Amino acid sequence: MNEKSGWGDYILYLLGAVVIIILVRDIYVIARLPQEAQQGAIFKIIFFHVPVAITAMIAAAVALVASVLFLITRNFRYDALAVAVTEVGLAFLAANLITGSIWGRIIWGQWWAWDARLTSALVCWILYAAYLMLRRAVEEPTQRATFAAVWSIFSFIDVPIVIFSIKWWRTQHPQPVFWGGGSFPPDWKAVFLWNMLAMVLLAIVMTVVRVRQENAQRELDSLRRTAHAM
Amino acid sequence: MHLQSIPLLFAQIATPDDIVREAARLQRNYEFLSYGLTVAWAILVIYVLFMVSRGRKLKREIASLKAMLEDRR
Repeated sequence: MNEKSGWGDYILYLLGAVVIIILVRDIYVIARLPQEAQQGAIFKIIFFHVPVAITAMIAAAVALVASVLFLITRNFRYDALAVAVTEVGLAFLAANLITGSIWGRIIWGQWWAWDARLTSALVCWILYAAYLMLRRAVEEPTQRATFAAVWSIFSFIDVPIVIFSIKWWRTQHPQPVFWGGGSFPPDWKAVFLWNMLAMVLLAIVMTVVRVRQENAQRELDSLRRTAHAM
Repeated sequence: MHLQSIPLLFAQIATPDDIVREAARLQRNYEFLSYGLTVAWAILVIYVLFMVSRGRKLKREIASLKAMLEDRR
């Protein structure tokens, strides 16, 4: 392991430790917060449901930028970043969909509603899952990266629809707390922002680890080609 | 959005049936909150474990291929 990689590992472990400390502290603080008057304890799921959604949307935006940069430069580092951040974003979006479904079961009395927000979020998840399936279907690396980048750019069209669906259409999903006319007590807002920071940091750590694996996969492919040629 | 620590007013005007119903609702709320958080964390933890296992497999394969290439040379 070279010196640069050693420092990288050190920073990665440090970030991971910071994430765990923030999350443990947040779980303790959230458990002690009073219940929301109308929804009760289930409302506290917002501290997880919304940060994972925002993190997934940020991941989609990073994947878009990385895909565009790959198409411009043909540099495989951007392709590695795109696939890494897409996979991580998919895990966060899955967590968002499931926490939302459980929240909906209590508040709406049903697990799922085919309204614009929920449907567009599910379509977003399917589009990015298709991105990963597409990558497995194409053998040739340059062709695979090009097709995947184009698909990633196409998939991003759904992201603004997910975000603004609750503004554009009448949905069963409520308006957002921060820009939909609602309000959060200041101490709740602080906890929310800390949790948001923890989720973003967690996604960064996961993405860096995944990028390294993508680079290792490329090294493995190169070694296999050398072995075949010998 | 209003917060209340203890629903004192409710306790003063509610019938025993109302209190039982409210207690059941609160219990259900906590149950579903715990389900939600457990499932969401499980997804992230499973993904991390999946990444760790993939990383180990990659390292193993790279090491064995490098050893094989050294032998051939």
